[in-house]
Order: sequence, then structure tokens, then C-alpha cells
Amino acid sequence: MTLAVTIAIMVAGGVYLMLQRGMVRIVLGLLLVGHAVNLLIMSAGGVFRRDQPLLGINPPDWAADPLPQAFVLTAIVIAFSIVIYMLTLAASGSDDDTEDVS
Amino acid sequence: MLLLTSILVLAVTVLSIPLVERVLGRNTGWFAAAVLAALTALIAAQAPQVLGSGEALTYSVPWMPQIGVEFHLRMDALGWMFTLLVTGVGALIMAYSTRYFPPGRRLGFYLLMTLFAFAMTGLVLADDVVLLYVFWELTTITSFYLIGLSGPGASRPAIRTFLITALGGLALLGAVVLLVVRTGTTQLSTILADQSWTQDTSFTALVAFLVVGAVFTKSAQFPFHYWLPDAMAASTPVSAYLHAAAMVKAGIYLAMRFTPAFGEVLVWNTALIAFGLITAVVGAVFALQQHDLKRLAAYSTVSQLGFLIAVIGIGTPEALVAAAAHTVAHALFKSALFMVVGLVDHEAGTRDLRDLGGLARRMPVTAGIATLASLSMAGIPPLLGFVSKEYLFAGLLGAPGGPWAGVLAGAVAVGAAAFTFAYSFRFVHSAFFGEPRGKRRAEQEDVHEAPVAFWGPASLSALGGLVLGLAVPVLDPLVNGVSQDTTGTAAEAHLLLWHGFNPELAMSALAIGLGALLVWRTASGDSYAGRALLPVDGPSVFERIHSALISTGRRVGDLTRTDTVAFHLGTPVVVVLVLATAVLWLGIDIPAPAGQTSRPLDWLLVGLMGVAVLGAVLTRSRLAALALIGVAGFTTALWLFFLGAFDVALTQLLVEVLTVVVAVLVLRRLPRRFHPVTRKRSALTAVIAIAAGSVAGVAAFALTGRRELSSAASYFLDNAPEDTGGTNVVNTILVDYRAFDTLGELVVLGVAGLIIIAVLRSTDLLPVHQARKPSVPVTNPVFEAVPNTVLMRTVAKYLLPILVVWSLYLLVRGHNEPGGGFIGGLVGGSAFALTYLAASSDAAARIRLAYPTIIGSGVLVALGTGLLGFLEGSFLLPLHAEIPLPGGEYFHFTTALIFDVGVYLVVVGVLLAALNELGLESGDGTDRAAPPPSPPGTSGGGNADETAPSSEGSGATAAGVDTTTTGGAR
Repeated sequence: MTLAVTIAIMVAGGVYLMLQRGMVRIVLGLLLVGHAVNLLIMSAGGVFRRDQPLLGINPPDWAADPLPQAFVLTAIVIAFSIVIYMLTLAASGSDDDTEDVS
Repeated sequence: MLLLTSILVLAVTVLSIPLVERVLGRNTGWFAAAVLAALTALIAAQAPQVLGSGEALTYSVPWMPQIGVEFHLRMDALGWMFTLLVTGVGALIMAYSTRYFPPGRRLGFYLLMTLFAFAMTGLVLADDVVLLYVFWELTTITSFYLIGLSGPGASRPAIRTFLITALGGLALLGAVVLLVVRTGTTQLSTILADQSWTQDTSFTALVAFLVVGAVFTKSAQFPFHYWLPDAMAASTPVSAYLHAAAMVKAGIYLAMRFTPAFGEVLVWNTALIAFGLITAVVGAVFALQQHDLKRLAAYSTVSQLGFLIAVIGIGTPEALVAAAAHTVAHALFKSALFMVVGLVDHEAGTRDLRDLGGLARRMPVTAGIATLASLSMAGIPPLLGFVSKEYLFAGLLGAPGGPWAGVLAGAVAVGAAAFTFAYSFRFVHSAFFGEPRGKRRAEQEDVHEAPVAFWGPASLSALGGLVLGLAVPVLDPLVNGVSQDTTGTAAEAHLLLWHGFNPELAMSALAIGLGALLVWRTASGDSYAGRALLPVDGPSVFERIHSALISTGRRVGDLTRTDTVAFHLGTPVVVVLVLATAVLWLGIDIPAPAGQTSRPLDWLLVGLMGVAVLGAVLTRSRLAALALIGVAGFTTALWLFFLGAFDVALTQLLVEVLTVVVAVLVLRRLPRRFHPVTRKRSALTAVIAIAAGSVAGVAAFALTGRRELSSAASYFLDNAPEDTGGTNVVNTILVDYRAFDTLGELVVLGVAGLIIIAVLRSTDLLPVHQARKPSVPVTNPVFEAVPNTVLMRTVAKYLLPILVVWSLYLLVRGHNEPGGGFIGGLVGGSAFALTYLAASSDAAARIRLAYPTIIGSGVLVALGTGLLGFLEGSFLLPLHAEIPLPGGEYFHFTTALIFDVGVYLVVVGVLLAALNELGLESGDGTDRAAPPPSPPGTSGGGNADETAPSSEGSGATAAGVDTTTTGGAR
């Protein structure tokens, strides 16, 4: 429930920012939506098991699903590379405005 | 074994053509002809088994065993007949080609012609529907290239032909897929033998419809008939082989092959008979109209194919006997006629009947060949064409649907045959007899007979029709075998030249009589030729449909063609909303939650996130928005930590820090505030955003967290230490279980780094924005960069080595404890970011490491580790070793660690690239020389009002007054 509410907030904010003018806002919106999706993937693993999947420390009985974690870890880094690329585009050329009309 | 040999011999021939052609040039044809002739003899020698005992030759070898597709070959009487046609006629045409072309290289032609012979042989021998389809398309493709070979003018005809026949190929593919799915086997003979699927009438009708589509397009049936005359843009040997004897017969073959299944399906019978007869009439009428000998021959082929299709549509054993006999007859006389067209064209310099005439005196042998072949085409005894046409008539009289149907079919056939007689007469008479005509009359005096090597093949073909006509009973085993293969009943037919007075004979006589009348009334077609019978012709209709399709596609594209980014970003969101609404409307069953999903402390994070996002949405200041999104990112990291994902939380945290650093470097080049938008738009986007958020939240609540641990997760948790020697399960997934994913991700990351470099090498960065420039007097102490940064520099100086060592430690321990390549790399990258931000000037900030090399070497290290895995069997399989340590302990070493080093290098490299490329004033980390540095601290002022201050004092990273810089000198 709590995670779902968080996701709702983030997606709403992210979509709002993405639909504005200007590359920077789009990037920020994308960041938010990206985080939200990552949390959604975590949620898919089941959030009632919340122990670290570190078998040297915890027994696996209540360990969280490690597969979404691996996916999300990968996703975070890829999202980062996309974000810095988009920021580069925002900072080159003339302005970061994405629309001709004012 | 013979089947495999034939296919292999042809394949080897194709491959050897480039070599042979280098030596022989146009004479490569002799080589190809010899191979095909040898194969013809070899296959003909199988007659006792295939025709005599009625046992098919088979061969099979697994091809794609996973999906049950095998390389099945099978040669029954039907296959035997078509194989002989392909190789036999092929041999003649190849020999003919050696003299048709002027001396010189003919690599493309011979390569494609032998490839076609290979494909066509494979097509008629294939006993697997997938294989059949592959060969079918291969013939289409070779035909396309062979037509296109004739030069620029042939490109549109080649494309038109290709599109039409490829359309049929798609229909065949559809039929193949349906059959394989329904019957569970890909073996053609099994599908045809097991007729249980034909009980489902609608399914059978659908498959029949698709097969008919393939047959009609390939064999040029009305309304697709026009591609065949269109394809006459190809050189004459191509026309003779592909568009008369072989490729267009692929449709005939397919129709005969599927007769066991569809012989009694009404759609099949009706379509084949009706369209076959229409094609026969249309082709014959148009043939008589042509001035061009080659187009005449092409339309005649259309007409003859129509006869064949119609009689196959009857589906009785007698009809199939007729179809078999006529297939042989047509292949012989039509290939001969096409070769004659080439001979005339070659020797007389034209093939326009208006400029020909009286050639018989100059080219007696060619005239003889033409006459013989035309007599067979017109159905005059004692040629094979006469016998086969008699049987065609007999077969058509047996049309299903009552006696009137037979009479009607017979009457139409007689009409078409009358035109056949007329155009056959026109072919021979207008070209070879009478007086030379037209503007080329003078030149006709110098025409000579072609050399024997040129007319030889044509004469063999034409004489074949005569010999087989006189000795027609030798075909009995063949036609009966074909009828056995296609209808399951041996027809017990005995082909005879003379079999008494019967309706067929009367029909033949009537056709000849009407034909003669037609010849007389139209001055052997001259008074009637060239007149437009229809307001449109096939190619222009095709072009109109084609361009209409293209412009429709463009109009569909126009619906969404806009430069407005928000539209493209918003559309998918709205579509998802619509889908979600539909799902909510219909409702779905949701299982109960699998456990307690919320904990009280979580609400803290919800509140934090709510505040951060609300602020980020409302503010119009870029810097504030960035900071608030940063807060949201940190909250996400906390969430991840709460969810038991320590590694992920750490990664998120580090990425968040670095994102803010990079974003700050960019923001100082942009205005302080966001671009304004209208209130109306804000309201609309807010509505979309709130709806999207609600849907996402509902989906997250309703669709996740309602099952126990997945089996994959259980596997990883139970087996990771044993499989990989690591206890950090997430890390083992990244570098052991799913290392290929990680490798892909690594490459994406590296490419992003390289793209950033590439973009900034080609486009200049924006200068630091005017609004960000200091407005205080230059004497102000904030301009003194070096003293201002002393604290940060000192901290960074000692922190850098510690951070680097720590990052390496994180990297090494990642397999068992939180850490790993990503986290290590990010920590290492942060160390550089720190020194970078703390530097007092651009020159001091620049990190002199070849970051493209670091990125590349990281990818190479990861790839190399992956290749090492082949030592134990597969790509990216980690190798393990126990390295003894002093003191009796063992260190568990795995190549997964080296893989992680690759990850580390790429992450560090990309971060360095971003910092250096975006951070420096010029936006260029390496290439552009910075202005000569002034002594530190002495030249702070004086240039504050320049657009792009470049001296150290006001340098980018050290600009303490840069309102966006969060670290650094401030």
C-alpha cells in the first residue's frame, strides 16, 4: 500500500514534468518516472519479505526477492547514462526549449 | 541419396560459377549445361523405380530439429516430371545462352541462373512445407534479380514482378503456418496423406484460398497475369527458362501437389476452373494483339498456364493426366519459341512483327524450329501439343457441377484454342513468310542463319515435341504416375495420337476451323493488333495501387508527425490510460496479498516523497527543481533500503549524487527559470499526470505483491553460494547468472559515454548563462579562486586516494557483501567528481585520463572474461579457482570478479567523460587548448563581463558565484 502510494505520487509528478516545455524538465520527469518504475519492479518481487539477500549475514528465509534487485540495479545505471546523455543534449545547441511557440 | 546428390551438385555448381566464369566468360553456359544434362540423365534413369514401381525416392536429414523441420526430399512421379523439366530445359537454355550473349563476362547471369535451377529443383523435390516455402521464395528472388539484370529500364518491371510474386509467397507462408499448426508436422507428404484436417471445411477453404493466391500469382493467372508480359524486360534466356518453362510452372506444381487435399473442395474447383479459363481466353486474345514476338510468346504462356490451371481445377484423374501431358508439351514448345524469339532478335535486329517477314529464306532452320513449335502450340497432329490439347478438352468436359458446366468449360476452351491457333499462325507467318516489311526492309537482306550452337538447343526442344507426339505412349507411365500421386487413382490412360471420332476431336477441329477463320478475317492478326481492348493496362493499375498505398501510409504517418516533444511523450501515457480504463471497466480477479506489505515507518517515506515531488512540480526555478528531484531520488534510495535491497540503495544513492553533479554542470548554461507554459496546458497536463499516477498506484497495489516468492528467486536464494561461491545473491545474479544482461548494459553505458563525447565534439556547448554571471565588483574576494578553494582542495587531496582504495575494496568484496563493480565504479567516479569540484580552475580540474580508452578497455575486459567461459563450455560462464593463502586459508577466485572489473572501468570511464566534457568552459575536455593560464590569484578580475570568461579566476568550476554550483569554492 505504502509503496503503491509512493509510486502513484512519483508517476504523477514525473508525467507532469515530462509534458512541460524544456529538455531539463523532461529529464527530471523521466528521472522520477524511472525511479517509480524501479520501485514497481521491486514491488513485483513482493514487499512483505524485506531481509537483505546476503546469505553470509541472513538466512534466506525472509530474504527479499534478489532478481528484481538485480534488474533494478542494472536499470538505475542505464537510466543514469541516458540522463547524462539527455542533459548533454540540453546543454548543446541553442537552448533547451523543445517548442517553437512561446 | 540421389536426391541429396542432385541438390548438392547444383549447390556446388552455383558456388563454382564465379571461378568457372573467370575462365570461360559467356561459355560458362556449356559448363552449366553439362551439369544439368548429366543430372537430367541421372534422374531420367530413375524412371523404372519412380514410374515403374510407383515408389517415391526419399531422403531426409534433420535441419531444425527444435521445431521439427527436417530437410525432407521426396521424388514421386510428379516430382520426377518437374525435376526433369527444370534440369532438361535448363541444360538447353544454358547452352543457348553461350551464343545469345556477346563475348564477355556474364557472372551475375550464370550465378543467378544456376541458383534458380537449384532453387527450382529444391522446390519440386521438397517434402517439407517450410523447405518448400524457402525454395519458393528463392525462385522469386532470383527472378527479381534476373529481370533487374537487364538494365535500368528493367527495374520497375522487376519490382512489380517481385511484389506480385512475393505477395503470393506470403499467402503460401500463411498456408504453411496454418497447416503446420493444425497438423503438427511439417512433412508435406504426411500432411497430404493424413486428410483429417480437411474435415474442417472452413479451415480447408481458408488454406485453399491461400494456396490459390500463391498459385495464381506465381503462375500469372488473371488478375495477376500482367506481370508475365511485364517481366519480358528480362533477357530472352531468362524469359525462356523462368517465365516459360520453369518458374511459372511452380504454381502449376503447387496446384497439382495440393490436389489430393483440395481436389474436392468447391472453392478450389471453382476458383481454378473459372480463373484458369478466363486467363486462357484473356491471354490468347492479348497474344494475337501483340506486335512484339516476345510479348506474343509471353501472353501465349499466360493463356497456356490458364488452360493448365483450369484442368487441374477439375481434379479428376483424367484431368490430371491432361495437365501432366500438357505441362510437358508446353515446356517443350514454349522454350523452343522463346529461343526462336532470341534467334530472330539476334540475327534480324528486331522482334517487332511490323519490321519482319520473309525470314524463312534467310533463316530456314530457325523457321523450321518455329513452325514445329507453333504447330505443337496450335494443337496440330502429330505433335505432342495436339495430343495434350485433346486430353485438355476431354478433361474440361468433365467439369464438376453437372453437364452444362462441362459444356460451358469446353466451349470457352475451344474459343481460347481458336485464338491460340490464330496467334501461332501469326507468330510463324508474320515473321518468316511473306515479304520483308517495315522500315528495316533493306537490312533484312543481310540477315543470316544463326550458328548451329545457337539454334541447336531450340531445335532439340522443338523436335522433342514431335518425337514425343509420334511416340506418345511412352508418356503413359508418367501421366498415370502423376494421376496416381495427385488423385490417388491411377487413370489407366493410354495416350494415343488417334483414338477415334469423339467429342474432343470435334472440338479440336472446331478450334482449328475457327482459328483459321480468325486468321483470315484479321489478316493473321495484323488488322487487330495494337488496338487497345481495355482502357487500362496491368502495370499502370499496379503503379496506381502502389502509389496509393504509399501515400496512404504517408497520410497515416502524418497523423502523428509533429516536432512537439510533449505530444510524442504524452501519447503513450494517454494510450496506457485508455487501456487501464478498459481493464478497470472489465474488472479482474485479484488474489489476496501474500503478506504484510506496509510498515508504519514507510509512511515517512511517502510523506517525504510527496513533499519533494509537489515542490519539484510547482517550482519554476531550475535549481530548486533539481534539488527537489534529488530529494526524491534519495527517498527512492531509502525505499530501496527499506525493501532489503542494500546494493541497489547504495547504487541509487551514488547515482543520485553524480546525477546532481552532472546536472549542475549543465544548468549553469541555461536560464534560471523554466520556460513558461499556458495555464490551460498546465491544467491539462495535471489531469493526465494525476490520472497516470492513480493508474500506476492502483496497478502497483492490485497487481503486485500477491504471490509467494517466485521459483526463480527461490532458486537463486537456495543455490547461489553453491553455484557461484558468492553469498551476495544480487551480485551473483549480475556477474554469474545473468552476466549477459550485465554485459549488454555495460555496452549501453559505454556507448552513452562515447555519444556524449561525440555530440560535444560536433556541437558546441552553450556558454555559461548570462544570468549566472557574478554581478559583484571584481575586487570582491569571491573572485579569488585559489584561496577560496583551499579547504575543499585539501580535503579532496586526502580523500581521493582513500576513495579510490575504498572503491577497489568494494569491487573485490562484491561477491559476498554489499559492493561490486557498479558500486565500486560509482564510488571511484565520485572521487574524481570531488577533485573536480574542488579544483580552483579549469586547467587544474581537468582529469588527464584517456576516458574513451578506459570505457573501451572495460568493455574488452568484460568480453574477454566472457570468452574465457568457453574453456568450460559457454560464453560468460565464470571459472573458479581456490588460491591458497599463507596460513592454510583459501581465497576463492572467480573470473566473475574480472568481469566486475570491466564493469568498474566502464562506469569510471563514463563518469570521467561526463565531468570533463560538460564541466569545462569550452565543453571540451581534451582537444581545445585553454588560454594561457595567468598566475593563480593575480588575474581574478577584469574579464567578468566577457561572455565566456576563460581565465582561471572566473573559470567554470571555480566560479564561486555560480549560483548553481553546490560544491566547489563556495
